[in-house]
Amino acid sequence: MIFRIFRKELLDTLRDRRTLMTMLVIPILAFPIIINVFVEISKSFEEGADTKMMKVGIVGDHNKNYIQQLEQIPAAVGPKKIVVFKDSLTLRKAIEADQIQLGLIIPANENNLRENQQTITINWLLDASEVGRSERAALYGSSLQANADAQRLQTLGLRPEQIKPLTNNTINCASDKKMLGQLAGGILPYIFIAFGFIGCMYPAIDLFTGEKERGTLETLLTVPVARWKILIGKMLVVVSSGMLAASCSLIGLFISIEFLDLTDNQEILKVIHGILTPYFIGSLLALLLPLVIFFAGVMIPISIYAKSFKEAQSIITPLNIVMVLPAMVGFFPGIELNLNTAFIPVVNVVLATKELVAGTLSWLYFAGVFSVMCLLATLAIVLSYKQFGKESNILS
Amino acid sequence: MISVQNLNKTFTLTKQQRKELNTNQKTATAVQDLSFSCQPGRVFSLLGPNGAGKTTTLRMIATLIAPTAGQIHINGINALSQPQEARKHIGFLTGSTGLYARLTPMEVIDYYADLYGVEKAAREQRKEELFSLLHMQDFLHKRIGKLSTGMKQKVSICRTMIHDPSVVIFDEPTSGLDVITAENIIKLIRSCKDQGKTVIFSSHIMSEVDLLCDDLAIIHQGTLKYNGTMADFRANMQTANLTEEFIRIVQAPNSQL
Repeated sequence: MIFRIFRKELLDTLRDRRTLMTMLVIPILAFPIIINVFVEISKSFEEGADTKMMKVGIVGDHNKNYIQQLEQIPAAVGPKKIVVFKDSLTLRKAIEADQIQLGLIIPANENNLRENQQTITINWLLDASEVGRSERAALYGSSLQANADAQRLQTLGLRPEQIKPLTNNTINCASDKKMLGQLAGGILPYIFIAFGFIGCMYPAIDLFTGEKERGTLETLLTVPVARWKILIGKMLVVVSSGMLAASCSLIGLFISIEFLDLTDNQEILKVIHGILTPYFIGSLLALLLPLVIFFAGVMIPISIYAKSFKEAQSIITPLNIVMVLPAMVGFFPGIELNLNTAFIPVVNVVLATKELVAGTLSWLYFAGVFSVMCLLATLAIVLSYKQFGKESNILS
Repeated sequence: MISVQNLNKTFTLTKQQRKELNTNQKTATAVQDLSFSCQPGRVFSLLGPNGAGKTTTLRMIATLIAPTAGQIHINGINALSQPQEARKHIGFLTGSTGLYARLTPMEVIDYYADLYGVEKAAREQRKEELFSLLHMQDFLHKRIGKLSTGMKQKVSICRTMIHDPSVVIFDEPTSGLDVITAENIIKLIRSCKDQGKTVIFSSHIMSEVDLLCDDLAIIHQGTLKYNGTMADFRANMQTANLTEEFIRIVQAPNSQL
């Protein structure tokens, strides 16, 4: 009988355009759209920054020594125009008004410092909130510094290695997979969890509050079927919808990787393909299932209690923030799955998923997180059952 | 047969409800010490003004809510201890009954037939009978959301009767319907009576009661004011017409009935 109720509710749900949008269409399109927009914007900013003409204002270069050096920097770095200013105050105002993009202030005693073989401090003025300015200043700065270093070494009659007895080199031992897990592992569970929640939302409201509001629940409860069976039949549809939404977001991710030019780096693509294995997908869904049941178990009592679709929506929508916000923990570096975090709902699934992407999730932690979420899901089901049994909740 | 003995129902009031009702009492009594019985082949009418406790009483009989005290038997089955068994014998239709707008009449009827455990062969025969009786063939596969009020009412009737219940409960079944659509309900009630089913229906429209019922009970503020046959009611009337007599009984103190 539970399956019969499930079948009918699923049919009813699949004929609801609003639910279909949140369950199938939006999750499938989310990753391709987000990634495409992100990649295109990044590309346009990068291209724009490289090709953008920058006016460099300079103060205090009496010998035109620095102007010459700057002019010799290849145009491939980006086009530039040098403008000489009489004082730093005027230069600063021109930068604030965006008439000049970079400012260079040469100290007045530059000649003295050079002759006495002391350190010359030159100051770059820029608006760091603008894309590409800091990078361009760093490029010009390092070119000027390299010239100054070479000149000083020549004066002293030294080779560079004579004043640089030691250099540090870092070798990254983490696999590409682990690095990807660290970088992208946070966003993936966040999106899966968010869609798992949104996927549950409309069916939960529609199948409980909606049925109460439309006057069909009263009739349904007069049939010779135990109320817990009706509840479970409906709950299965809510959970399936949440899982379907999360799975669709995974399909969307796959589409993005396969059909959008995310990266030309074949190594990274190989790692991504390596992650999207049946084992990864199976483990991810196993972690998501009790979490989605937990979401459903929290939403259903609210939907049963609410007297109208609007009321249910106004309670569940802010709940979205409370439930999905902990998923942002995945973005913070340094927070790892341990004996403490394994007991925090949502956070534990995020951290476990992150480790799953990196390939470092141990079976013990997997079982621990799964058990904790199953326990919470059971409690949520009991809560739903109690609410569904209350006369004041089921009748309008 | 329906047997109701010393039925009581008390609701706990929420803070909001207490505020709305302007009362300090924590509970409200909807039904108090109600006893009556409805016989097979007869139409029993539960009459009372708005808020009298008619819907609460019918919901208790339909096992939707549990009484605070008292006993209900449906065809000899204790509805409190064996609600699921009792529900197999009951068909329940209300004026505010909704239907699944995204499903077709056929899907709804099949769903309820499954929920009532109607065997496939019996179901097909029953569907044939009801579809032809209610002239439903033309819209069986259209979405309910696109049907007219009259068509929807026919689907509701079909859903209520698919398992051929021996006890049929109608809670203000004609409320909000035009006379032509309401006629379907009147025909259904008469047909149920002819088939020897036990019929109980609530109403506050005296003309409807006059047209259909064999026995009646008048309730007001949850208590029984009158219980007897329609023939006795007519015979003992102290006013000129049924509506005036109904108002007189409702407004009179118990000592003057």
